[in-house]
Amino acid sequence: MKDDGNTPVILRADGLSKRFGGRDDLLTRSLARIGLATPSPLVRAVEDVSFELRRGKVLGVVGESGCGKSTLGRMLAGLLTPSAGRVETATHEAGESFPVQMIFQDPFSSLNPRKRVRDLIGEAPRVHQIVPRADLGDWIADLMQKCGIDPSYQTRFSHEFSGGQRQRIGIARALAVKPELLICDEAVSALDVSIQAQIINLFMDLRDEFGLTYVFISHDLGVVEHISDRIVVMYLGRIVESGPAEQIFDAPAHPYTSALIDGVPRLDRRRQVYAPIKGDIPSPIDPPSGCHFHPRCPMATERCRVEAPKLREIAAGRQAACHLIDDPAF
Amino acid sequence: MSSAKTMQAVLEVANLDTSFVTASGEIKALQGVSLHVNKGEILGLVGESGSGKSLTGFSINGLISPPGRVMRGTIRLHGEPVLGRSAEDMRRLRGRRIAMIFQDPMMTLNPVLRIETQMRDALRAHETLSRAEARDRAIAALDEVGIPAPATRLTAYPHQLSGGMRQRVAIAIALLHQPDLIIADEPTTALDVTIQGQILALVQRLCRERGTALIWITHDLAVVAGIADRIAVMYAGRVVEMGPVDAVLDRPAHPYTRGLIDSVPNRNSRGRRLRQIPGRMPALTDLPEGCAFAPRCTHATPACAVMPEMRALSHARAVRCVHPLSEAPG
Repeated sequence: MKDDGNTPVILRADGLSKRFGGRDDLLTRSLARIGLATPSPLVRAVEDVSFELRRGKVLGVVGESGCGKSTLGRMLAGLLTPSAGRVETATHEAGESFPVQMIFQDPFSSLNPRKRVRDLIGEAPRVHQIVPRADLGDWIADLMQKCGIDPSYQTRFSHEFSGGQRQRIGIARALAVKPELLICDEAVSALDVSIQAQIINLFMDLRDEFGLTYVFISHDLGVVEHISDRIVVMYLGRIVESGPAEQIFDAPAHPYTSALIDGVPRLDRRRQVYAPIKGDIPSPIDPPSGCHFHPRCPMATERCRVEAPKLREIAAGRQAACHLIDDPAF
Repeated sequence: MSSAKTMQAVLEVANLDTSFVTASGEIKALQGVSLHVNKGEILGLVGESGSGKSLTGFSINGLISPPGRVMRGTIRLHGEPVLGRSAEDMRRLRGRRIAMIFQDPMMTLNPVLRIETQMRDALRAHETLSRAEARDRAIAALDEVGIPAPATRLTAYPHQLSGGMRQRVAIAIALLHQPDLIIADEPTTALDVTIQGQILALVQRLCRERGTALIWITHDLAVVAGIADRIAVMYAGRVVEMGPVDAVLDRPAHPYTRGLIDSVPNRNSRGRRLRQIPGRMPALTDLPEGCAFAPRCTHATPACAVMPEMRALSHARAVRCVHPLSEAPG
């Protein structure tokens, strides 16, 4: 933990919330009042999320469908405007750098099929004049080399590459504008196991080489555990637990985190008797009252049904949102 | 193969070749696939994209359509040949004695028919039943797979159910006729971790209670570790290693199996580089001479230019490799 204090904070999320829908125009509202229209539902995709990320670290964001992890990633990358709260990013040097870039899950739909690799990677640095025009060719070739794509493929189109190769192109494209922070949203989830290992290793090599910081969003706990320094666990838009990766995985504090970790099949667990938590993930349109997890929680009490637990410090650098944590009976 | 094994084998596949005959020639998608599943046993069929694992399932169930063709080999269900039956004969077998569960239940279920209609159709395809009898059977089947309020769920359309519930319905339909064999093709890949745990628990229980043989097709070694009794690893259209799950995962004999296991991030790999397999699986149109894994294999020698036969390491294990890893038992 000692070196944690030494690297400066590069990203700070402060009370981030994102709501979708629920904003009807006057006509729809009027019609809804007399029962002639249905008001569009309000979805609280992300609610009051705060954290800090230090330079050179990897923050893993885990959670299941509808937990808001992708919405959070998009707000951090500046692709969505928060409904409340803000994102602060620090840049250490003045310069033509774009601090945050994003890497997407699907290397098929995130690359323009009508552009050659040269343009996919080179367009942004050219337009933003990050690299002098004369050096652009070398810059592209160098990035391709570093990301493990043969630089002689510059004139090819993305469909000529395999899924793993395309993800490498996506990474090279993100790196082309000299970012400091990469938001990886399920960046290895669509890849085969052997290719996934190659891309994870590439991420770690690039971190050392460029001093990158990552927000690594994934539903795959094995990958997140492998790659992350700190973990944020989300459930229906809220952070339920956060802390150092080893601590979260070795001794989860929140019942949801425990259920998540226990439910993950692992190579060393043979003929496992699964004792899954009951029930479906509730819809974020109509989340349960109180603690969002209480209908599925084996330990829920009356208090959990009515009062939403606040996220609070339970140990140095660790937070959890659960009423039961300081309950002596727990 | 001892006669005892033959007697209890539900399914025996021997030397199965499946090809796609196209204008540019024959693409050999499966070559010499041999495997068996015993009563009440779960066989994990593992491989990456393009390894032929799904195609093996489709071939067994007679779902290969032109330009695809099962070229040679034998498939026996309780000793009776499956190949060479008429389409009508095959239709009577499929669904009743061999059932299939697919990855995406939205594709298995008809979106414009209520659950009840679909289950009644599935029942009446093989049995003569009144409407009321079919309804009772459907309710019992939904109840068995843990769907709450099954009678009301019968009137729902697939889109009104969550992904986990849809997959439960698909499993209920697969179980309607008490099949001898279920082929499950990545049935939990699209589901969240906690829902995956529920489905795995369900399938484990049902197979144990009924003695149904199950082939679980997946790319996820960890899932196989959790539920399978035996494992078959496929690469580029061939089975390269087969044996009891503990033996194969703890002491793999094929360098590809070793590589796959090392590629999976786990708790001990945190902060370290994953041992990755270089390169990627060759395209079926461009298979190398001899062992298809040789170009990526660190143990490859000129002897690998001749395709090795599947050879037995012990009574339960076999590997297709010229240089099986020495940690495996002889």
